[in-house]
Amino acid sequence: MRQWLSVLCCLALVAAVVWGTAQVGAQGGGSIVGEVKFSGTPPAPKIVKVNKDNQACGNEKKSEELVVGANKGIRYAVVSLVGATGAAAKPAQKPVLDQKGCQFSPHVLLLPAGAEVDILNPDGVLHNIHTFSTANPSINKAQPKFKKVMTEKFEKPEIIRVQCDAHSWMQSWIVVQGHPAYAVTDEGGAFKLDNVPAGKHKVEVWHETLGKMTREVEVKAGAPTKVTFELAKK
Amino acid sequence: MGFVRSKFFQAVLVLAVVFLIFRFGIRPPAPWSVFTLYMFVALISVLVYVSSNRDSWRSFLAPIRSILVDDSKLPIRVAVMVILPLLLGYYAYTQASAGIEAPAELRAIHPAPPASISFRGKPLDIQGLGNPLRKDQANFQKHVAEGGVIYIKNCMYCHGDNLDGNGHFAHAFNPPPANFTDPGTIAMLQEAFLFWRIAKGGPGLPKESTPWNSVMPGWEDRLSEEEIWKVIMYLYEATGYQPRRWETHAAVPSPLTPTLSSRGAREMRGSSPPAAEGEKFAVSSPPPGERTEVRGSVVSAAWAQPAGDPAKGKAIYEQKCLLCHGEKGDGNGPAAPLLDPKPRDFTKGKYKIRTSASGRLPTDADLLRIISEGMPGTSMPGWKVLPERDRRHLVAYLKTFAGEAFKEAPKAADLPKEVTSSKESLARGKEMFEAIECNKCHGNAGRGDGPSAPELKDDWGNPVRPANLTKSWAFRGGGSPREVATRLVTGLMGTPMPSFIDSVEKPEDVWHVANYVKSLGPDKPVFATILTVRAVQGEISDDPAAPFWSSQPAHNFPLAGQVVVDPRSFNPSIDLITVRAAYSDAEIAFHLTWDDPTASKPDPKAKTFADQVALQFPTKPGEGNERPYVLMGDGSNPVTLLRWTSDGGVGEATATGVAKLTPRTGEAVKAKGKAAFADGQYRLVIKLPRVGQDPNDLAFPVGRFLSVAFMAWDGGAGETGHKMAFSSWYHFRLEEPGSNKPYIIPPLVVLVTAVLEVLVVRGARRRTDGG
Repeated sequence: MRQWLSVLCCLALVAAVVWGTAQVGAQGGGSIVGEVKFSGTPPAPKIVKVNKDNQACGNEKKSEELVVGANKGIRYAVVSLVGATGAAAKPAQKPVLDQKGCQFSPHVLLLPAGAEVDILNPDGVLHNIHTFSTANPSINKAQPKFKKVMTEKFEKPEIIRVQCDAHSWMQSWIVVQGHPAYAVTDEGGAFKLDNVPAGKHKVEVWHETLGKMTREVEVKAGAPTKVTFELAKK
Repeated sequence: MGFVRSKFFQAVLVLAVVFLIFRFGIRPPAPWSVFTLYMFVALISVLVYVSSNRDSWRSFLAPIRSILVDDSKLPIRVAVMVILPLLLGYYAYTQASAGIEAPAELRAIHPAPPASISFRGKPLDIQGLGNPLRKDQANFQKHVAEGGVIYIKNCMYCHGDNLDGNGHFAHAFNPPPANFTDPGTIAMLQEAFLFWRIAKGGPGLPKESTPWNSVMPGWEDRLSEEEIWKVIMYLYEATGYQPRRWETHAAVPSPLTPTLSSRGAREMRGSSPPAAEGEKFAVSSPPPGERTEVRGSVVSAAWAQPAGDPAKGKAIYEQKCLLCHGEKGDGNGPAAPLLDPKPRDFTKGKYKIRTSASGRLPTDADLLRIISEGMPGTSMPGWKVLPERDRRHLVAYLKTFAGEAFKEAPKAADLPKEVTSSKESLARGKEMFEAIECNKCHGNAGRGDGPSAPELKDDWGNPVRPANLTKSWAFRGGGSPREVATRLVTGLMGTPMPSFIDSVEKPEDVWHVANYVKSLGPDKPVFATILTVRAVQGEISDDPAAPFWSSQPAHNFPLAGQVVVDPRSFNPSIDLITVRAAYSDAEIAFHLTWDDPTASKPDPKAKTFADQVALQFPTKPGEGNERPYVLMGDGSNPVTLLRWTSDGGVGEATATGVAKLTPRTGEAVKAKGKAAFADGQYRLVIKLPRVGQDPNDLAFPVGRFLSVAFMAWDGGAGETGHKMAFSSWYHFRLEEPGSNKPYIIPPLVVLVTAVLEVLVVRGARRRTDGG
């Protein structure tokens, strides 16, 4: 009997907190600005020698799996608010994943759940879109030289690796957002999350080679809150 | 209707009916010798019948006589007189020009075991020896289970998952691996006999069992005494046979008597009747409808059967699938590290061979098809030995590994309307093949040698090879145009092979590409049993691309992996070698063709080695058919190798065991050769003098049955030393020069027949005139 009581108490507490957070959110919000930095000496960027389709792809490719800027800022890290709700806004323009020069661009693409993405092949060589997903169907579709545009839809929130098997260096990520609070860091490692409700939040950063890190921050209405992440090589 | 009563007509009718029954009514077809014997008996009986009395005999002869003498039958007479000699002449031609077949070899199937053997230096009495583990009844199941793991890691490659001698290397060996489910094998033998055969293998056979063609290695170097006893227990448990005892009354093979084993337990669970092995011997036939097969690839409509029961499937899975696919269905069973391609991981729900769209799960019919048919070119056998009901239970159980993934019933993707192969379709297929860049992975000639091929990995991070499109018999999902077109529509999930249905110009292009892919190679390789060496005048071309060589008859020989000595080769890159050969007075030349995706250079960093190939000959051609052990001989029976390596060219060596080589150097090396590599294929000519000066040199006399075996290494796939592919021993024979038999004998036959005809007709007419 006592066990049941404590369980009930816990549930009530959780409900109260959730309700409270939602109430705070409704009262207007602030923003989170920050940086994701590399801790330690950043490794030299990987250079991949291109051994096929040199006319379309060039002679070498700089790997984008870990791009560290001048101020040790890490590019292409994904910052998100844990537990945020609401649907991500539909982008004004249809999102595009380009493969020009045998390189996915952007390297990390934010995509609201349920949105379509145009995948472009202006190279005049065969590419293939091979996704490694679990929530969404994992697809592998060929995109020959004459197929300039292919459209794919991603329904469920998930971070998906995208690969072209024909050119093994071609890797990128599609982040299917379940809610609006997502950002990707720029060249300097900076990011900004707008419209964050005031109150305590968990902010998560994810990087493809450096992994995940979470931080708790308190956001005040009408003011930007600063936060810095330092990621190290595992 | 008078002719119906004619004895001649009746006789011809009876013979025709008998012919049709014997030729087409008997399944599987009777051997030719049996068939001719039956026909001969039928002919004699008919003759006895028609000659039983004078009237009957006369009635029988009447039409024949009429054709011979009647003036009104002149056109028929002339026709018969022309056609008959021509027919006989043609028959004589086919006989005279037929190639020489390998000589029949007699050997004792179950030779008497020696009274005692030396096992790892320790004397062991075979006579009266029993399996010591049988005394330990408490650990019976444990020993059997451990025996199963030993079997799957060592024996399965040849003797097969089903213990039926049909492992994926079996086709490369002659004599074939033993079929343990056959009541003529282990059911007739004592366990000590098996111990002797396993420990000593082919090389340990007594003289009366020669030639030592048996590839069965002596396992005493690899397996301990206890391990051999365990695997023997597994053999009996898995087949349901009882070992023969040493007592005077030999046990009768009793396949249907359940032992105290898991088999008995399984029967009590009401699952399959003695599944794999039982079906063969079952006294009662399965209920009607049980054997209806769901065949073909796009057959979801045929899926009207009740779904299987996962609980029953689990019991079968644990018996038949677990050793490779693992208890959790993650493809990590005890045998998994030794397999390539790896066993399927069922937990991800990613299946290669489907009829559903890219990213979708396979249909039940897809899963049933793979379980039933197996996957050619891999260690996954077809499980038709299990009743279909059991295979459906397995389907149901496999789906439970992928969690919720199978909640929605998958649908088969639409396959565009079939386009049959034609000149236009092939042209369009070639055009599309190039436009969609199949060559990027599969290579220009389709031999799996494209520029992206070396980097390909599957979704689990294991390297994968693109299919060699010239070998459609090894396509995992089947080699028919429909199956190839389906793979183009669906892609192979979990591998780099994408779906092409959204990216061909018109949907029916998948059919054109499929037809073109099929045109790149034969449906099935025709394997040779003997290598015929033709006689030529003058010097033999050493240019592998010379037209002379393509005009010589080709002989295909299958290769299998070496799995006896570490490092073992479970999935050799080279599985087939095509051989042509010619000789002149002075020299003999061998022309070898084999597929290899890369012309590799030795690079220790990348773990690649030189590509190699070798021809193996007995150093001392023995009396009769005795040959050294096929894996490079042994201490007392050495072999001579003619070798070619991509970095060292042609060389010679003697060997006294796997990779125990003594290369010849300097003047002693008489062999020369030239190789060419193009589009994922090597061609090589090796020449050497026919008669060497040195008594140790190989000699190639005309008209004798000599022995040769082949070995190959794909250095680019990390093959070197022990890691290799090899063939059985084969005969080869230098044909007598300029055999003109096919041009002399048939005309003679025609002439003689014609003369006889004229004599018979004349005689008959004279008698009629006279009478």
